[in-house]
Order: sequence, then structure tokens, then C-alpha cells
Amino acid sequence: MKSLLSVQGLRVQLPTASGLVTVLDGVDYEVEPGQVFGIAGESGSGKTISVLALLGLLPEGAVVEGSASYAGSDLLHLGRRAMRDVRGKEIAMVFQDPLTSLHPMMTVGRQLTEHLVYHLGLKASDARDRAIELLEEVRIPDPAGALHAFPHQFSGGMRQRIAIAIALACRPRILIADEPTTALDVTVQAGILRLLDRLRQQSGLSVIMITHDLGVMSSVADWLTVMYAGRIVESGSTADVLRRPRHPYTAGLLAALPHPEAAEDAPLLSIPGSPPSPQARPAGCAFHPRCQYAVASCATDVPELIGAGDSRRLACPVDPLLVRA
Amino acid sequence: MSLLELREVEVEYRRSGRSPVRAVAGASLSVDAGEVVGLVGETGCGKSTLARAAVGLVAPKAGSIWFEGQQLRPLGRRARSRSDARLQMVFQNPFSSLNPRRRVGDQIADAMSILGLVPASARRARVAELLEQVGLPPAAAQRFPHQYSGGQRQRIAIARALAAQPSVIVLDEPLSSLDASAQAQVANLLKRLARDLKVGLLLISHDLALVRHIADMVAVMYLGLVVETAPTRALWSVPMHPYTEALIEAIPRADGSGWLPEALPGEVPDPGHPPAGCRFHPRCPYAFERCRTESPPLVGMKKNRSVACWLHEPGGEHRAPSQFARVTRTSGVGDHVDGI
Repeated sequence: MKSLLSVQGLRVQLPTASGLVTVLDGVDYEVEPGQVFGIAGESGSGKTISVLALLGLLPEGAVVEGSASYAGSDLLHLGRRAMRDVRGKEIAMVFQDPLTSLHPMMTVGRQLTEHLVYHLGLKASDARDRAIELLEEVRIPDPAGALHAFPHQFSGGMRQRIAIAIALACRPRILIADEPTTALDVTVQAGILRLLDRLRQQSGLSVIMITHDLGVMSSVADWLTVMYAGRIVESGSTADVLRRPRHPYTAGLLAALPHPEAAEDAPLLSIPGSPPSPQARPAGCAFHPRCQYAVASCATDVPELIGAGDSRRLACPVDPLLVRA
Repeated sequence: MSLLELREVEVEYRRSGRSPVRAVAGASLSVDAGEVVGLVGETGCGKSTLARAAVGLVAPKAGSIWFEGQQLRPLGRRARSRSDARLQMVFQNPFSSLNPRRRVGDQIADAMSILGLVPASARRARVAELLEQVGLPPAAAQRFPHQYSGGQRQRIAIARALAAQPSVIVLDEPLSSLDASAQAQVANLLKRLARDLKVGLLLISHDLALVRHIADMVAVMYLGLVVETAPTRALWSVPMHPYTEALIEAIPRADGSGWLPEALPGEVPDPGHPPAGCRFHPRCPYAFERCRTESPPLVGMKKNRSVACWLHEPGGEHRAPSQFARVTRTSGVGDHVDGI
């Protein structure tokens, strides 16, 4: 099967006061139709930058290299006008905090119909009917009434549902969701996760899911990519990666989670230190100063991301599974 | 008597032109020396308000707060009483709770000089000792908060609270702004402090999995009321309140099984207009007639537990709601695939 989206060698440098800083350093991934593709990592790992680059949403002065082929064109080299036809129509995005991503002074109806009119050229009355349909799809009670309401009149979970409805308005083929449930309670989060799962099953929507929460990944992602300091360190089917993590960083992240069957009083295992800032990334494998399995070569050679059996690609010469055995 | 005791505390916020909101509608809990009490609940349930009331930052409308055997007076224009300084608070966001323009060591030393706990000559050594206790090098005293990551800043905030030699610390969502590995480090630190220094901790959090790891006792709040309290392990294995059961079912598991967590239908109602009867009944899959009209009191059960639910008889056996037959289902609740 041909991939819907194929990203190759994505490298991003962002301008800072002290010159260009490499934030993403050679990232490859492919998104298949109807698949939930997860990108996990801590803050500063570059997971959000890796998708903002696709939509041309990086700050002024950013230097982007590599390619991202989608439907026969390279998203990284599209003109402004061509990008405007992709953004929101073909590839849409949902952000972490719906309170800031929705316009506070525009009715929900206007925000929903805006790009129906712009992208699809619908008449006002058709756009309104479609908007009601969309709100029904994301289970907003009284959709017709909701069109005239403002975002602040809804709860956090409802607002995120509205943001998802807006993103889905033009029936995009890819939905990028950046920490869509991080600001929500677990009970509300569960509803959003079920909604995304249903949309994927019903309409074959592909989702790029970005979150630091491996529990959320386990629930919805088919494919899981783990990023550290601007590179992919491990990727594979979610079941493979979470059941048998093979990069020391992935294993460390999982061990840091409170485990239901853990013995009483067992401390959580945490990775020592904290992730490096993009300005001060260590040479070699960026994770080596925090890694308990590091060998001499880790400090000098950048490990390549290579096939490692099952569905997996791994960027680590010291497979902790083998060390432990 | 416990070190910190909240008895039937009610907190009301007045709103101009609208009816007042009872953010906390009668909550009781207690914290003993060396004990970690977790207070969990959804956004808007009143847990942060209760935390602020517990240290006197907001005045309760009814009920009382007792600290070390004395009734706590809410903060007014006058200086806080010296004995109340042994009740400390750590806030959610260490980026805003630390002063960005003062050195870490000076901020930690404040409590020592104000309370006269440590002579000026010994302060530097004491600051170094506190920093070490929270896992930071003594050299951190000379640096500024912006030179530290979120997790390290939260450690500094904890060191600052410890400087006042508290017997109880109230922590409002101390872990929620941190990354996973930093969360684990600070969680372990809190547990160690309670055990080694015998400090009582009241930990407010929406993250049940973390609370489960740190807390000895858990209190579950829903819409201004404590609906269940129990020793952590017991609460987890047999949740007795339907709300507690729903909260636990909603936690995703990072096991690669693809299991989708259960959504609780509906959202926390407006505390300005709470539902009649049991406040949870519109979202409860087990609700029956009585729940719609009468509010269930928090009653004691066997083995140091209590629950506010009509499914249970006072002093009864521990049973999870799902072990009862579902009497009636609130109309339409079960039909939604993903809840609203």
C-alpha cells in the first residue's frame, strides 16, 4: 500500500537570539490511510515541530530541509497559495488548549462555516446545515442552538469537540492532534479518545497523534514513534513498542509510569537528569548522558535508526533487551 | 486529633448579579503526621478551593479547620500567626510561584529569618541541607529560578516550604506541569519526605494513577462534596462509589493492549446549580428513585472507609457498584458510544 504521507529526512533549524538552532535532525515517518500514527516524547523533543513543518506553520526564518510527499506534491516546498488549499482542507489540526485555539469572540457557527465557504464554496444555508451535521457527529447536544453560542459557554471537553468538528469540516484526510486531551480530565479524555477512534473507523480518517502520555497512545495509536532531542529513537506498532520497549529511553519512560501491579512503596523508576535543550544537545547519541546502558561509542557516534526485527526501527547499538537477558 | 482537620467545610464564592456558588459544600478530611492524603476529582469539583481553605487562603462560610489542635484563622490583613507557619503550601506552577529576580538560596532562607528559626550565621548551611534534601546541589542557592527545569523548580518550591519546618504541607497539583520523568522524580521525593521527616501531606491532584502511587489515604471529591474516602489500596481494588469506579475505568493503560478507557457520560454540572438529590445521579449508571430526591450522607464503612451513596448500608461490606445489579439506567446514558 502506498503511504498517504511520507516524510523523509526532515530537518528544521529555528532562529534564536544566538543564531540558528537545529531542533529536528533528520526525521522519517510514513502515515497510512485510516491509521492513527502516534508521536511521543517529552517537551522539547521536537514532536510538535515535526508536524508544524508540514503545514508551513513554523516561525519566520526557520530553515527546513527534507521532503514530505502528500498526494503527489512536496508539502515542504509548496507555495503559500497552494499550502492554503491543503491546510484545513486536506490536513487539519487540533491543538492542546481549545480555549486559545477557538476565537473567543466569534460564534461557534461562524468558526465552523468559515472554511466551508472558503474551501468548498458552499452557500451560507448549506454551510449551516453541514455545521449542524458536524456538531452532531461530535455529539454536541442541541447543535442548532450551539451555532449561536460562544466558546466560553462550553466546558473544556465540549470545546475540544467543537475544535475537532471545525477541523473535520472539509473532510480532511489527515487530522493532526497535538496533545488534544492533555488539558482535560480523564473522564472527558476517554470520550475524546473514543470519538477519534470512531471517526477513524467510520470515515477512514488518518490521525497523527502527538502526546507525551503513553497511556493515551496505547488506547488509540496503531503506530508509535518515540522522539528524543530532535530524533526518532524507536518506532513500531504500538503493541510491540509498549510491550517490549527496546530503546533505553522508551523503557525509561514506561518505567516512570505508576504501574497498577507495582508493589507498595516501590519508588517510581525515573530517568536521571532532564532532556537537553536544543542549544546544548550532547554529541553522539543525545540520550547517552542519561542512559544506564551507554558504552564508549555512544558518546561519539550518532546511532542510526535501523530495522530491528518485528515491526520495529531502533536507534540504539545497545539493545537493552539483550543486555538484560 | 489529627494534625490537620477539616470539619464540614463550606466555601462560597459570591458573583455579582448572580447567585453565589458553593464551591465546597461540606467536606471533611484529616491529615496525620507522616501521612499522605490524596484529594482527587475532576476540574471544577472544588478540590483546589478546599486546599486553599485548608491553609486559610480563603475563609470558609461554615465548618472549621483545625491545625495542631488550634482553630485556623483565615488570612486577613494582619500577619499570619507564627504557629500557622508550620502549615505550608506548594502551588501548581513553579514558574509563577518562585520569584524570578531573587536567588534560590535567598528565597529559601526567607522563612528562617522571618520566623527566627535559624541564626543568620547558620542559614547558608541550612539552605544547602534543604537543597540536598530535595536532590539539588548546594551551589543551586546562588542561582536563579530560570536556570532550572520545571521539575527542579518544583523541588526548589518544596525546599522553600520545608524551610519553615512545617508539620503539614498542602500541595495543589504539584506534578501536573511536569514531564513524565520529572513527575516520577518529584513523586518519589514527596513520598520520601513524608516517611523520613514525618511531614503530613495533603496532595491535590486530578491524576489518579500518581495519587495511587504516593498517597496512603484518598478522598474523592465530586461537585463540592467528598463522596468517598478510603486507604489507597482498598479504594483501588474495590471502589465503592460509582463516581470513583468511573474515574478508575477512565484511566488509559500504557500496556499496548489497545484497550479504550470508559467515558463517563456528561460533565461536571455547574456548581451554581447542582442537581437535586445525589449530585452525581444524572451521570450515574446505577441511579434509582431515591437518588433523584435525597442527598446521601457520607457514612462510615468497615476498615476506615466512608462513602456517600445509597447503594451502601452504613457499616456494610465493601462492594463495587458494578457488583450490584443495575437497577435502572438513566435514559439514554448507555446508548452513547463515546459519551458526551
